[in-house]
Amino acid sequence: MFSSRALGRAKVAAAVAATALVLSACGSSDEAGSTPAATTTAGATTASDAVTVDGSPESSETAGATGGETTGGSQAAGEPGIVTITVTEADGCVASPDTVPAGPITFNVTNVDAAGVTEVEVVSEQRIRGERENLAPGFDASFSVKLDGGSYEVYCPGATTERQPFTVTGEAAVTTGNIADLLQQATVDYAAYIDDQTGFLVDATKPLVAAIKAGNLEEAQKAYATARVFYERIEPVAESFGDLDPAIDLRIGDVEAGVEWTGFHPIEKALFEGKTTKGLDKLADKLMADILDLQARAKELGANTSADTKGADRYKPDEVANGAVGLLAEVQQSKISGEEEAYSRIDLLDFEANVEGSTQAFAVLRPALDEIDPELAKNISTKFDTLQALLATHKDPKQIGGYTLFPDLSDKDLKALADALAAVAEPLAKISGKIATA
Amino acid sequence: MTDAEPGTEAQNDGAVTAATSRRRFLRGSAIGAAGVAVGAAAGFGITEAVRPAETKVAPTAFEIESARANRVVDFYGPRQAGVVTPQQDRLMFATFDLTTTDVDEVARLLGRWSAMAARFTEGKLLTDAEVRPGAAPYDTGEAMDLGPYSLTITVGFGPSLFDDRFGLKDKMPAALKPLTGLAGDSALRPELSDGDLCIQACADDPQVVFHAIRNMSRAARGTAVLRWSQLGFGRASATGAGQSTPRNLFGFKDGTNNIHADDTPALADHVWVGEESDQDWMVDGSYLVARKIRMEIEQWDTDNISDQERIFGRIKTTGAPLTGGDEFTPIDFQAKDDTDAPVIDIASHVRLSSPEENNGIRILRRGYNYTDGQDSRTGKLAAGLFFISFQQHPDQFRVLQNRLGSNDSLNEYIAHIGSGLFACPPGVSASGDWFGKALFT
Repeated sequence: MFSSRALGRAKVAAAVAATALVLSACGSSDEAGSTPAATTTAGATTASDAVTVDGSPESSETAGATGGETTGGSQAAGEPGIVTITVTEADGCVASPDTVPAGPITFNVTNVDAAGVTEVEVVSEQRIRGERENLAPGFDASFSVKLDGGSYEVYCPGATTERQPFTVTGEAAVTTGNIADLLQQATVDYAAYIDDQTGFLVDATKPLVAAIKAGNLEEAQKAYATARVFYERIEPVAESFGDLDPAIDLRIGDVEAGVEWTGFHPIEKALFEGKTTKGLDKLADKLMADILDLQARAKELGANTSADTKGADRYKPDEVANGAVGLLAEVQQSKISGEEEAYSRIDLLDFEANVEGSTQAFAVLRPALDEIDPELAKNISTKFDTLQALLATHKDPKQIGGYTLFPDLSDKDLKALADALAAVAEPLAKISGKIATA
Repeated sequence: MTDAEPGTEAQNDGAVTAATSRRRFLRGSAIGAAGVAVGAAAGFGITEAVRPAETKVAPTAFEIESARANRVVDFYGPRQAGVVTPQQDRLMFATFDLTTTDVDEVARLLGRWSAMAARFTEGKLLTDAEVRPGAAPYDTGEAMDLGPYSLTITVGFGPSLFDDRFGLKDKMPAALKPLTGLAGDSALRPELSDGDLCIQACADDPQVVFHAIRNMSRAARGTAVLRWSQLGFGRASATGAGQSTPRNLFGFKDGTNNIHADDTPALADHVWVGEESDQDWMVDGSYLVARKIRMEIEQWDTDNISDQERIFGRIKTTGAPLTGGDEFTPIDFQAKDDTDAPVIDIASHVRLSSPEENNGIRILRRGYNYTDGQDSRTGKLAAGLFFISFQQHPDQFRVLQNRLGSNDSLNEYIAHIGSGLFACPPGVSASGDWFGKALFT
């Protein structure tokens, strides 16, 4: 069900009255009647684009000076809440008003002069319910979140006063998706993705084994490239079974003395460097057995996850997030350097597969992340799109694997790929910390 | 405490104070070291200083190193620090290509950089916020337990920032036209040249400058990418009055007649941009020229001393001009030897770069020696001068370089391989202000 990339591209459908947000950030209460946080898509909180640059030093100071007083005022029941959060070096984080009715709430944040404060969060019982990152002194930002009645804190990490109590009265007008439920669903979705991919891996390895045994070099080379894709997409799961990844994916330089070199890469060496299928039967059988083992173990993890079995070995949301980052780290470490596929030189195919696996892990987490920080989710999604588009420019159907071979990439190509990769990895690495506390 | 710093009282920006840092060098041993001369710290290894107080280490040396580590150069001020600030020992310079096309993202990045610069220059981490167990640390951490070491962060804007991408075309100063077509430009490499933004980080500790550039480039990910960068390991100029003139990798004292921090009239005339600028946002800024100059070390090493001294126009050991006196004796460009030839060769470096020979043009040099190790193919030492100069108008550099590039005897031993011109806006006045705010708003 997750073989489509569409999940990673899900657009935040709701439009935002950005102008209204900007105006209200400057202290106007006339806009309170608009509905800045209205959403049209279930589960998707609106992402605000209302990032503004102050018109002048004076306007920044004005916003700071008035922000702590009466901005926003008291809202009548049923109106969407607008809260101004003013961050200063002297006083830390001040939310005004500090009590609003349940429902959609827009937080307009002004960092007046707190150089050490980079983000603001709305937290309840250690769970992040909404947040905005990348704050800087002299800049405004805003975020919207739907809150049920209850006690919250406005948390500005690193501020002089970091936490301020914040109260939401009554019940929420629209019940939001429970983040914990969304995260459980994310692990179930991820399990389904892994099951699909391990299935494809098994299906792709069979023709590789058959071609080797039939002595058909050309077919074996093609089958090798096909099978690699499915393995590279799910590598973090394979790595979680300590012994399986080394058996399947060890490179020659990592083989300890006295240990037999097995898996994909000795086969790759024979097929692409030795140009032969001879003597590979045993290695091919062992690879098939290890991959079937991988499939069986992944299935068990998946079943435990779907059943939400407490205490059992299962996928966890932060592990899915870390896996997404881990896949990009794989690229940074061994694909961008051309070390992974030393003989076949299809490193860019592995690169694409790692990125695809990472994209899908992000995609399953996205509904939960959209609740916590839609701006971050949108940013990651955009950066994934950029990276995928850049990779697509290196497609070459004439090559085994369908991409330009590694030695044919220029230094400029590699720098552009590395830069695009880092642009995803940096925000992606923030997810795990957000959902671990969610 | 600034009494210890000759020259620093004369300036109202880049002021140096031995302020206390939250992250104090040598934890728990806050020793005020007023009155300790900076120069005395030279050559004193930090390993000798970092010993428990009870061992028999000369307390003076300990205090000197501690004061050096804890010294803070004010970040906020009307003009950027890192220009007339007494030159620190270490440099990391980096330029960036913007990948975003959204001018608001550029502004916000400059806002983040300003906040980071304010904290790093005080020896603070990026933030004091606690890191959640599942989250990547805010600050990369390698400067923890180090002092600020007089860190300065200076930011500049390249000509390409004013192309079609960001709607800033009308705000491009006429002075910022790209540095192209200069004599001696034939070896320039595009991948070591230019950039939309630059950061010059200088401090008396190499890890402190690296930490600053690393974290600022991390903050840029998704908005801008590193284009090229350079580490400098030894200052190759003196900008503070009283600072001794250091030597370049040819072994010569270079830049003896540099503009010094206490020479306020010269700074106003030659370094700082004033009301003459066609762009108000550049007033109190300065133009930075960076040139990566490779030295042909092995060839130079075989040149005889007389020729080396003829090329520079100075005595190698003392730095005195060939016309006599000591290092700071004015040079007599008219003097002839007994064969009626000029004592200071007409193609010598000191003559061609002198104000006397260039209609009084002066620049503030702030370069560093560099090495990138070895050339991977030839095995030759990859080393030279990372030249940085600040001037009121880039034409000051153009005139000098055209002269040097066409005639300098030194050209046989050097090649300019990287180049950049950047408009450094005025200083960040206080928290809430940021680099170039007047340009973007």
